[in-house]
Amino acid sequence: MKKFLAIALALVMVLGLAACGGTVTSTEDAAPSANDAADGAATSITLWTYPIGGWGDEATVKSLTDAFTAETGIAVTVEYLTYADGDDKVNTALTAGQGPDLIMEGPERLVANWGATGYMVDLSDIISPDDISELNVAAMEACYAPTGEVYEYPLVMTAHCMGVNLDAFKEAGADQYLDLENHTWTTEQFIAAVNALEEHFGGAVGAVFCGGQGGDQGTRALVNNLYEGAFTDPDHTEYTWDSEENIKALKTLYDLKGIEFNPAIAGGDEIALFYNETLKMAFCWNIAQQLNPNSADTGAGKTINGSEIVFMAFPCEDNIRPVQLQGGIWGFGIFDNGNQAKIDAAKQFIQFMCDSEHTIDAVRAANFFPVRTTVNAWSDNEIMQEYNKLMPMLGDYYQVTPGWAQARTAWWNMLQQVGQSDGSEAAIKAAVEQFCAEANAGA
Amino acid sequence: MANQPSMSRALARRENIAGYLFMLPSLVFFIGFVVIPMALCVYTSFFDAGMDRNTPDVFVGFANYAELWKDAVFLKALKNTFIIVFVSVPVVCVFSLWVASAIYRMKESIMSLFRIIFYLPVVTGSVAVTVVWKWIYNNYYGVLNYVLKGAGVIDRNINWLGDQRFALWGIIIILLTTSVGQPIVLYVSALGNVDATLVEAAEVDGATDMQTFWKVRWPLIMPTTLYILVITTINSFQCFALIQLLTSGGPNYATETVMYYIYYAAFKLYRFGYGNAMGVILAIFIGLLSALQFRLAKEK
Repeated sequence: MKKFLAIALALVMVLGLAACGGTVTSTEDAAPSANDAADGAATSITLWTYPIGGWGDEATVKSLTDAFTAETGIAVTVEYLTYADGDDKVNTALTAGQGPDLIMEGPERLVANWGATGYMVDLSDIISPDDISELNVAAMEACYAPTGEVYEYPLVMTAHCMGVNLDAFKEAGADQYLDLENHTWTTEQFIAAVNALEEHFGGAVGAVFCGGQGGDQGTRALVNNLYEGAFTDPDHTEYTWDSEENIKALKTLYDLKGIEFNPAIAGGDEIALFYNETLKMAFCWNIAQQLNPNSADTGAGKTINGSEIVFMAFPCEDNIRPVQLQGGIWGFGIFDNGNQAKIDAAKQFIQFMCDSEHTIDAVRAANFFPVRTTVNAWSDNEIMQEYNKLMPMLGDYYQVTPGWAQARTAWWNMLQQVGQSDGSEAAIKAAVEQFCAEANAGA
Repeated sequence: MANQPSMSRALARRENIAGYLFMLPSLVFFIGFVVIPMALCVYTSFFDAGMDRNTPDVFVGFANYAELWKDAVFLKALKNTFIIVFVSVPVVCVFSLWVASAIYRMKESIMSLFRIIFYLPVVTGSVAVTVVWKWIYNNYYGVLNYVLKGAGVIDRNINWLGDQRFALWGIIIILLTTSVGQPIVLYVSALGNVDATLVEAAEVDGATDMQTFWKVRWPLIMPTTLYILVITTINSFQCFALIQLLTSGGPNYATETVMYYIYYAAFKLYRFGYGNAMGVILAIFIGLLSALQFRLAKEK
């Protein structure tokens, strides 16, 4: 009897497993899926979003998706990614054929990565000539693949910048080097300010963080602007950061006593160190941080101790080339999962968020500036109005250069090698050339 | 009587079938999540496989394996991995044996307290452990710099995880704290199970404490030692989470390990074939070292 029971139990377990497997298969095999209505239209879609301002906050996003569902009847399941492991999750899902229907991020991922490798849907059919005329030209250009397809519908944009602790600058007498009206300063003023701060406070007052790719737009913009270097060629076919200008910039930074190359921290860590006033300046800053420093909800433009934070453009040499800030562009892309009903529903979602009366809510949720010039999202916000002064300083959006993922890792690895070197020009040159060549090998 | 052997065979067969059926659910998972991925790993290692949907994988034979030995980062990662293994395995074994020897005869409550203390880092999540250690090692306000400066050992802060001279040792220390818990519990149990009559007999014959330990207890706990050696070796070879969460292999590849480089090649560079080739090589090294440990322990 015992043996009979044992065998029966084992059979139940095995059949149970088989049944579980069968259910998954049959759901997947159904085309159109069980989530599709009888007329072939999808009733649900999935959205994966990186933490783009308030688009990383569940309550904020829910109010937007609820409005979409109320209008269209299409339910939206949202998964919130982090920059630490979001790429890994998406790549794993894509290679397993389990990618989401929609994704929210920038052209460096949607166009240069997943678009270039054949995973994205061309959105040309939902972008009319009227849309083109209303969308920021530079932002829209970044959303095109070299072959002409549009892999991202841009929603918001910003210019990445620096943050400085104004109270600390005043205490060290370094505020004289800041043009607070225009939020600009020259390379000479930056060097003088760092020296003044270092003399007053001692130790590092700024960090060239290079513990990973997080916030690397800040270190790139810092190095590229100091002596008018460039990261890529204008056609975005080649990485050109091994120029004399960039080597000179890295040497200058290495030689400054108040600046340290720190491979133990990345952008997020730097922001935290700036917020708690360990560092007096942050190279990883933007309007979202200015509105809510360190995402700590302790007041706009204030450190943990209440010191005033001022946003600044990156320093550049006077009268040679205007400063070129790194742009951030974010919008939606659709993964080609082979289900036309889902693709159509995803396109409806994009139009709802980027091209309707609801766009203003979607933009405000992100805490960035609208790409659509007809959307007036921030007329009631003084900080945003002031920050708008930086927007004309937006430089080339070179993040769509082929091999971008490899170039990013080569960049922070290069900074690590520079920081660990003896600081001689030859050592810096060798590191720069080695990693720039690595980046170009992947381009 | 003539039917007895055939009946026994029938009984044995029925029992075997029941046994296999009980194993079947686990076997399904084992085959699905271990055997098949391993086979796919070996298979993919012979291809230039990436993420590109538009480009089919290209069979490259042993090219990925050949490239490994010319890749300076892989060689550095391999060297770092061996340093971790050759430092942490003996230290974990010796330290846990020492702690277990010291506590296994204590009162049950005190012994449990020690077991909890040493086992706590094992059951604590990797992320929580790394957050705490990141704070300890912090360059600006870390407690380690504070203590060492206070004691006059150093005169200025050291960037423990950001300096290539110290970073790997910083990782090894964290690895040790998370690795000794299980061996200590196993050794306490093994030492407690040593037949007391054998120890008493040795003592009656005039053996000293050291002689009793090395001549009686040590041989009896050898299977436990072998198990600890093997699992610590495998864990050390597979050191990944600490590296990913703390240093990303830096500074300047000073903490790059093979496991992390596999992840980097596959998920950052999208070179799945190359990453799999590294995985196969790592598995071979782990297998060889484990086999060597078994062989040596058997000879003992």
